[in-house]
Amino acid sequence: MNHPSMTDDQLATAVRESVTSVHMTIPAEQIVSRSRTIRARRRMPLVAGALAVVAGAALAVTALLPSSHQPGHPATARLTAWTVASQANGNIRITIRELRDPAGLQRTLRADGLPVNVSFSGPPPNPSCQPYPTSKRQLRSVGQFHPGQKSAVMVIHPPALPDGAGLSIFDRPGIQLPPQAKGLFPLAVGLVKASQQCTGS
Amino acid sequence: MGTQSLDFAEFYRRSRDECLRTVLISVGDQDTAQELVAEAFARACASWRTVSKHPAPAAWVVRTALNANISWWRRRRREIFMPDPGVVADLPAAEGASGSPVDPRIVAALMRLPARQRQVVALRLVLDLDTSHTAELLGITPNTVMAHMARALAALREDLQPERQQETRS
Repeated sequence: MNHPSMTDDQLATAVRESVTSVHMTIPAEQIVSRSRTIRARRRMPLVAGALAVVAGAALAVTALLPSSHQPGHPATARLTAWTVASQANGNIRITIRELRDPAGLQRTLRADGLPVNVSFSGPPPNPSCQPYPTSKRQLRSVGQFHPGQKSAVMVIHPPALPDGAGLSIFDRPGIQLPPQAKGLFPLAVGLVKASQQCTGS
Repeated sequence: MGTQSLDFAEFYRRSRDECLRTVLISVGDQDTAQELVAEAFARACASWRTVSKHPAPAAWVVRTALNANISWWRRRRREIFMPDPGVVADLPAAEGASGSPVDPRIVAALMRLPARQRQVVALRLVLDLDTSHTAELLGITPNTVMAHMARALAALREDLQPERQQETRS
């Protein structure tokens, strides 16, 4: 090509031709498989939201609670507001339908040996509850959170809790939720440093 | 595989190469471009009910890939060293014919453009978007798109012309 200067069309053609032999080599099946992982991850949007909140300075928590565990409860305790079920594999399945009786839920979970703080709105932040530095991956290994519109289900795997960590289940007015969590049950889960004052052990 | 998956598979088959080429021109590295585009297509598939109604699903994929690239660099900017565009530009012209699927002279010239100009060139020339769609996708005005395009073409013309004349002489 010996033009004194290339025209716009010639330049456009040159740019297009420079990459025409580039092809996507990843098969569609691999893309579809990856999309399933993305969809599964979206079922836990509040976990990510909780991380952001837990990373902040303060957590909304209830007043100090009993420091000893109550005697074990039946495998499944059913209440209107929430249900706690101990599963054969050691996991604890919690279904929350109404943000009521946080102390009762906390007591029940602690009786299962879970260091936990439960708070449903209102009380001032408890300085005893400090965020536990963690990653999304670690948080997801501890539990899965499936918020719906009328209830939230979480399945906790207690052995995966890092040493010195406890769980904080809370609802806080003004909580920063990810956009995809709008309209879902307003609850979040995060890790806190376990202590007698915060998580009961 | 349901109808939804079939529709996505067809979209992927038709659009994957042009999306990859568009992102490649923007980011300058084929492996990175492929990773970004694959992730963007996976996100499109995960939200296919919504994305399939988008007026230009391929543009959605490209925008998602470019946004992912920004996040990727933000996460790793302290650890990754940018290739020196001068080194890329000095690649021997014969390398394009010896295995690399891209023309290194033109890619090097593109990489010397500012990022925004490169994106405009890629969207306008490879994805074949018009000025208004390009403006919408990049969040800038149509006039700015036209200005970027004019400057980019001028720079490319100046950059490529001597090499092409040299090539003719040799």
